[in-house]
Amino acid sequence: MKEYTIISVIFVVLSLALDRILKTKLTSDKRFWVFWIIMAAVSFIVNGYLTWRPIVIYSEEYYMGIRLFTIPVEDFLFGFSLITMNIVIWEFFTRKKS
Amino acid sequence: MKLEYFIVMGICIAGPLVLSFSRKINFYKSPARLIYSIIFPMIIFVVWDIYAVGKGHWSFNEKYITGLYILYLPIEEILFFIVIPFCALFSWEVVKYYSNKGK
Repeated sequence: MKEYTIISVIFVVLSLALDRILKTKLTSDKRFWVFWIIMAAVSFIVNGYLTWRPIVIYSEEYYMGIRLFTIPVEDFLFGFSLITMNIVIWEFFTRKKS
Repeated sequence: MKLEYFIVMGICIAGPLVLSFSRKINFYKSPARLIYSIIFPMIIFVVWDIYAVGKGHWSFNEKYITGLYILYLPIEEILFFIVIPFCALFSWEVVKYYSNKGK
């Protein structure tokens, strides 16, 4: 397996683990997946632009070589894990306060 | 144009930033919530990014970045970890607002 692929999978696992550790359980929340449908569409535009120009250039050696439009599939895992961590921590503090 | 990545980030945050002040969602209720939920992921993603750029997993096109660097990363890439999470958190609050409204 390629290195970017491995790291991005590890980060997805970490983000899902954080959701369980902080007991936010967002992956069991329907709203979370509705949110992700919107995020996926937006990331196609933003990340699509960044990879189409290209502003970010990927080395063939380190990712699987599979792209959706111009976006390496690993980028979706990168985005998913980043934003999931943001939302999990946000919800943790939101619920703690109320 | 050297400002291009910077401008893309500016376009991304413009709408959410303006709308985040809407009273309907109370986005700034807790500044700590906003700061922690952006900063913690940012730290580990910046570490990943520095490693990836160092190893050559990806690189940035010199034509579209200002050339200002922080921690071996273009300043635009550091901004990415603030801008994108900010937009996502705002969108999440909007999704919650409309789904609660429907109940």
